[in-house]
Amino acid sequence: MVFNSLHFLWFFLVVYALYRLLPAVLPVERAHRAQNWLLLVASYYFYAAWDYRFLALLAGSTIVDYTCGRILGSLQEQRVRRRVMWLSLGFNLSMLGFFKYFNFFADNLAALFAAAGWHADFVTLRVLLPIGISFYTFVTMSYVIDVYRREIAPTRNLVDFAVFVAYFPHLVAGPILRATALLPQIQRPRRISAEQMREGLWLIAWGFFQKIFVADNLAPLASHVFTPGAQATGVNVLLGVYAFAFQIYGDFAGYSNIARGTSKLMGIELIENFRFPYLVLTPQAFWRHWHISLSTWLRDYLYISLGGNRGGEARTRRNLLITMLLGGLWHGAAWTFVLWGLYQGVLLILYRPYESAFATLQERRVSWLPPSGGSVLRVVAWFVMFHLTCYGWLIFRAPSLHAIGSLTASLFGNFAPRTIDVTGLLAPLLLYTVPLLVVHLVEAHADDVLIVPRLRIGVRYTIYVATLYLIFLFGNFGGSDFIYFQF
Amino acid sequence: MRARRALLLLAIAAAQFALFEIALRTWGHSEAAPSFQALFMPDPVVGYRLRPNARTRFVTAEFETDIAINAQGVRDDRDIGPKPAGERRIVVLGDSLVLSVQVELRQTFCRLLEEDLNRGGGPVRYRVINAGVQGYGPVEELLFFREIARRFEPDLVITTIFVGNDAEEAVISAPKLRGAARPATEAISDSTSSRLRRLVRRSMVLQLIRLRIVSVTDRYRNWIAPPEPPLQSYAEHPAPRIAEGLAISRDCVRAIVDEAGAAGARSLIVLMPARFQVDDADYGRLKEAVESTGGHLVRDAATARFDEALSSIPAPRFDALPPLRASLPGPDVFFQQTVHLTPRGHEIVATALAAFIREQGL
Repeated sequence: MVFNSLHFLWFFLVVYALYRLLPAVLPVERAHRAQNWLLLVASYYFYAAWDYRFLALLAGSTIVDYTCGRILGSLQEQRVRRRVMWLSLGFNLSMLGFFKYFNFFADNLAALFAAAGWHADFVTLRVLLPIGISFYTFVTMSYVIDVYRREIAPTRNLVDFAVFVAYFPHLVAGPILRATALLPQIQRPRRISAEQMREGLWLIAWGFFQKIFVADNLAPLASHVFTPGAQATGVNVLLGVYAFAFQIYGDFAGYSNIARGTSKLMGIELIENFRFPYLVLTPQAFWRHWHISLSTWLRDYLYISLGGNRGGEARTRRNLLITMLLGGLWHGAAWTFVLWGLYQGVLLILYRPYESAFATLQERRVSWLPPSGGSVLRVVAWFVMFHLTCYGWLIFRAPSLHAIGSLTASLFGNFAPRTIDVTGLLAPLLLYTVPLLVVHLVEAHADDVLIVPRLRIGVRYTIYVATLYLIFLFGNFGGSDFIYFQF
Repeated sequence: MRARRALLLLAIAAAQFALFEIALRTWGHSEAAPSFQALFMPDPVVGYRLRPNARTRFVTAEFETDIAINAQGVRDDRDIGPKPAGERRIVVLGDSLVLSVQVELRQTFCRLLEEDLNRGGGPVRYRVINAGVQGYGPVEELLFFREIARRFEPDLVITTIFVGNDAEEAVISAPKLRGAARPATEAISDSTSSRLRRLVRRSMVLQLIRLRIVSVTDRYRNWIAPPEPPLQSYAEHPAPRIAEGLAISRDCVRAIVDEAGAAGARSLIVLMPARFQVDDADYGRLKEAVESTGGHLVRDAATARFDEALSSIPAPRFDALPPLRASLPGPDVFFQQTVHLTPRGHEIVATALAAFIREQGL
């Protein structure tokens, strides 16, 4: 069930009607318990709509980590606690490794054997990828680590914990929530304010705009360049990469906004996952503004666990590389994702010595726009960073390592500006990105991703109505699933 | 306070409606544009046809063309009167691939075919009549031939089959063969619904919103009954309606051949491929899309199926796919944003078709 489907619309209307009805007919505490049961059943139904067979994995992961959390809470001896934590991590990582990476490693092993002249046709098992596994395993692992680190107390209520893991707005494509942020909201009765309703509805509308108007309309433009067999000149490859940069942003930020919006309507706040990522000046800032829930997860549970920036420059670089390589692999079991992670790690390392020099500029990230004016340096830094990010997207979207080579060769060896495809690429790219950028810049100028519902009524209504017109008149209603589901 | 807010919202919605309407009429020309829709008129038998003497300028991001319909209701800049001595008439029946609103009249394969056939001089002058109409399938082509094109006194009738969707369209249009054609505007009375329909037709914004609603209701139907993979004519295991459509198409084409033969005309069948049968990148995209819905796309299956279905009809068949494929690599033979031939595509089809007609002695 995808957010942009009628199935979800009916599902949400029914769930929401019941959710709002319960406090009206039951005492506060009983209504709260009933709401949590409702959220749990609804979330499991939401997941079963993809493939009911994998519900057992979700439930298994929930029970194992709930139990590990309880045990960790009752133990004092650090050595035993550590073993319990590793037991939980081992379970989650084994599950993730088997379902997500078995095919990748088996295929590469077979290729390696074949290169050595051995037949390796014993590797015939084809493992299906359970949707959202990368997200919910990270959610449960963070819970167990936080309990181990004594940053939170383990919950005693299995239903609350199961809702925390399976809560449908974030279940299949994030944001990757921390127990510290979500669990307390599940554990206490919720009140839904008028402001939450207003913001929630705007986030849903804006999320659909990002998905249906921006991402799904840009998808064919990107495919035009990235499909195997397509032979585009450098200038058109560049336009295709721009299209993909805004496609993936619209797709993923759109999903996150719809998730946040639906959750706000239920009185539960989810964290912000994107904050003007294409306006930043450095790779470090990019990762603070792009898929924030994943990058903070990697920082807190992987990079810092590896030693972070303690232990000298060489170890810091090593830790950055390992973190980003694994971050790349998290996105998918393919060498292109590994290379993308490596590329991001190298960018972070290369920019590191200049981070302090960029710091002042970075703080004024949104101020390079008129009327505050901007220095040439800031614009140049932004331009360079945006194109470095875009080259990363080329690596990410390319169908193979060979394609990365040929697309790069076109980009740098056969740019041929006169061959620019104005009607097929440039015009639609501008049509589908300019409205997004206008609102994006308004938000960035105020440094507030929820500024629109707080604007003056005339301006607010103008943006609301234009958003709806653009969705209905130009939206791609035959669009696909959200890209991040595959991760 | 609430009333004032509602009024403000309405005013903003109305202002933006006007702005979008102006913008769409200025820059967003499409087949939904009222000026383009004015090319068509209701017909009690076929459903609709080209409006005699209609004219429009069709502008999109990819092309600009002037379209003129003659007094007889086909795309031509000359009227069609009684056949003069020494003239050999070829009537080309088909859909939008024949009508070809994407190119100027002089660039259509019909006109280029005429020029090619006349190039050698000689006592016989060829006249090729473009009798294609947007959205037609084999059923409409048969009915149009009976109603209109037969009067053009053809010596050769070319029935153009678009293999990509003609089987599906034949199934949808089959009731017309039993006299069930009901043009959309036939039953127009002064009812509210008909007034509303006319209003929607006049506004590009409303037309687009109507298309969105149709798209959403289709998705609703698909949700109730899971959708089948697209491009069924090319599916490895197509839905039963494809076989039904092929049989209806065969019956229609046979009727055209028989009725043309009875009037002393010979017949030729042209199989026109879909863009992805020629364009590798387009094929890659569609293959991916079909496979994502659990189907399997067989690139030339529809051509092979029509070739087999029509094999029992006593008329030669010309397949436009090989010459179009042979033109690669080179400039595009299909437009990027439509499935229609570019001027180069028309040239290739015309040249190969002229050679085929000569070779067959037609």
